[in-house]
Amino acid sequence: MLRRDFLRNLVITTGGLVVAPTLLSACGGTSKTSSGGLVIGTPSAPVTLPLSGEAIADGLPEESGTIEILNWADYTNPEVIADFEKLFGITVKQSIYDNEDAAIAKLRNGTLQPDLIIGMTDTALARLVAADLLQPLNKTYIDNFGNLLTGLQDPYYDGGSQYTVAQFIYGNGIGYRTDKIDSADLIAQGYDSMWNPAYKGRLAVPDSYRDAISLALFQAGVTDVNTTDAATITAAQENLIRLRDATQPKVDILSYQEIPAGNRDIAYMWSGDILIAPWNLPEGTSTDVLGFWYPEQTITANDFLCIPKESKAPVLAHRFINYLLDNDVALKNQSYVGYQPALTAVNAEALISSGAIPESLVDAVVDAERYASGQRLVSLSPETDALWNDVWATFTAG
Amino acid sequence: MRRNTRIWNGLAAPGAAWLLTFFAVPFYAVACVAFGSIDPVFRDAIPQWNPLQWDFAQAQDVLASALNGPLRGVFIRTFIFVIAAMMICFLIGFPIAYFLARHAGKRRLLLLTLIIMPFWVNYLMRMLSWVNLLSPSGLFSRFMSNFGIDYNWLDGSPITVVLGLVYGYVPFLILPLYATLERMDWRLVEAARDLGASSRQAFRLVTVPTAKAGVAAAAILIALPMFGDYYTNDLLSRSPKTEMLGNQIDFYINNSSQPQRGAILVMMLSVLLLIALSWYLRSTARVGKEQVR
Repeated sequence: MLRRDFLRNLVITTGGLVVAPTLLSACGGTSKTSSGGLVIGTPSAPVTLPLSGEAIADGLPEESGTIEILNWADYTNPEVIADFEKLFGITVKQSIYDNEDAAIAKLRNGTLQPDLIIGMTDTALARLVAADLLQPLNKTYIDNFGNLLTGLQDPYYDGGSQYTVAQFIYGNGIGYRTDKIDSADLIAQGYDSMWNPAYKGRLAVPDSYRDAISLALFQAGVTDVNTTDAATITAAQENLIRLRDATQPKVDILSYQEIPAGNRDIAYMWSGDILIAPWNLPEGTSTDVLGFWYPEQTITANDFLCIPKESKAPVLAHRFINYLLDNDVALKNQSYVGYQPALTAVNAEALISSGAIPESLVDAVVDAERYASGQRLVSLSPETDALWNDVWATFTAG
Repeated sequence: MRRNTRIWNGLAAPGAAWLLTFFAVPFYAVACVAFGSIDPVFRDAIPQWNPLQWDFAQAQDVLASALNGPLRGVFIRTFIFVIAAMMICFLIGFPIAYFLARHAGKRRLLLLTLIIMPFWVNYLMRMLSWVNLLSPSGLFSRFMSNFGIDYNWLDGSPITVVLGLVYGYVPFLILPLYATLERMDWRLVEAARDLGASSRQAFRLVTVPTAKAGVAAAAILIALPMFGDYYTNDLLSRSPKTEMLGNQIDFYINNSSQPQRGAILVMMLSVLLLIALSWYLRSTARVGKEQVR
């Protein structure tokens, strides 16, 4: 199960409560103030985040006992965790989050007090820093830092990786069944394929408004996926409605299961999801039935690891980050999570030769060049975000 | 006498405190969120506790959308789905409850337990089982294809969502209906028959009116959660064709930076359900009076 899958299921298992954490968090707690504003980096305007507090000193011994990790569900290979526990003679305890905003609210009011956070993205980072929740990293504990893709050693959202270390990378593209859709035909159609009525009822878009609306923007030739222009956003809405009327799409995050199961033929999806799809193929089905078109203009993204300011086991947290950046450990982790580690050595060749992914999906692998050339989704102002929300609400209203 | 009244009033205090703590205060909090603002940095809702400073701009937008915008279709669809599911629930549930109360004899508890037993399994697990059964390669779909019925049940079909709601909520209709019918004075039916009514007339003129309060209670009991349901649609369809009000609330509260809109939709739904509840209370009060007479 992927973290997004878990997100969905956890929301479902809450049993239809309409007063969700976001609402509840508004009604109490001892949240820190929101003053100070957000420092948001973009690829064209990278930021070095203001330092708050000091990193731990060099050469400290590891803490004993337990390290508590805040993580998405099934987002770290249990074998990797067990190996780490053995290596340092400690116990790893995991808390699960299903929504970055809700997790930040709980970190702010002290409900969650982890020693290490796994899997947050740059849209959350600005808020984590504004709330003064993170401690600067001491890279003398992270010998494997150099294994990261060069572009991610000094990311635009956290110049110098002062607070964060990148973990997984992915790009958006179109996953499809090669036995149902001719690859050459699909590539010739490009983004237009998502508007092709021939795929009506067999097509899906991700249940993620930023990604889905960006699809409509790309198809119309707009590359600014953080646009604040109301006319452009309205045009994207009309474009999405055209897609809806032409193809009657499913709106979910299950394409990594549904495409291999043969229940749908084509979907706009995250590359990490198609990399995990072969494991969901029925027995005896060749992996060749899975294809992925990686667009020239698309979104690339990554998540990261970071250590809360109040971590009670900061040395172990640094050690765990270092452990996850080890090439062999990262490959082992990928074999369970599916998403691609942001490491130079864990490239297409390594993933294929280790059997982690089939050769037919080589196009879903994001390399340094692709990562650098991709568009990034960054935090929008509340006013602009409201416009994007309205587009999505209108699209899903049917 | 006055002392006795005080004691009886005192006994109502825990219930009143419960209502105040778990309904009135949360509902007021929802209103404060609905008419409040959001934190521009953390996107949390900032409730406006002072009603004099409530901001109704978002509410006007949502109301306009519900009357003439995209939300209108969602409201209409939700009502159609819920009413259709309720009607099917009654078609299935009433005969079962009637049989259990009237004809099951000593086996009624055993039969009731057997009927309810599948519903001891978690709702989510039951729906996920249906997803497996209804998928194109699932057992049910393959079985139906033997009869030439090749229908993709999970292809964003309104029928599947309505049937999912029926399956999920029908036991909650059977139980109160059974409770009502089980304690009904069946001598009234016998009297009607003795006076020349056919069995159909006795059912229509005696059984149904007598069971009216139970019918209304059962209807309210299943309608309330069905109106707010979003996970049945999420699991069985997840298509814009079947979007329900609960899905929009879920989006605005959990995944958008406009939690106020979610809170406003919660309030609108609550008002609509309050109207339905008032009807129920009035109808049960009327039935009570008629029975006293």
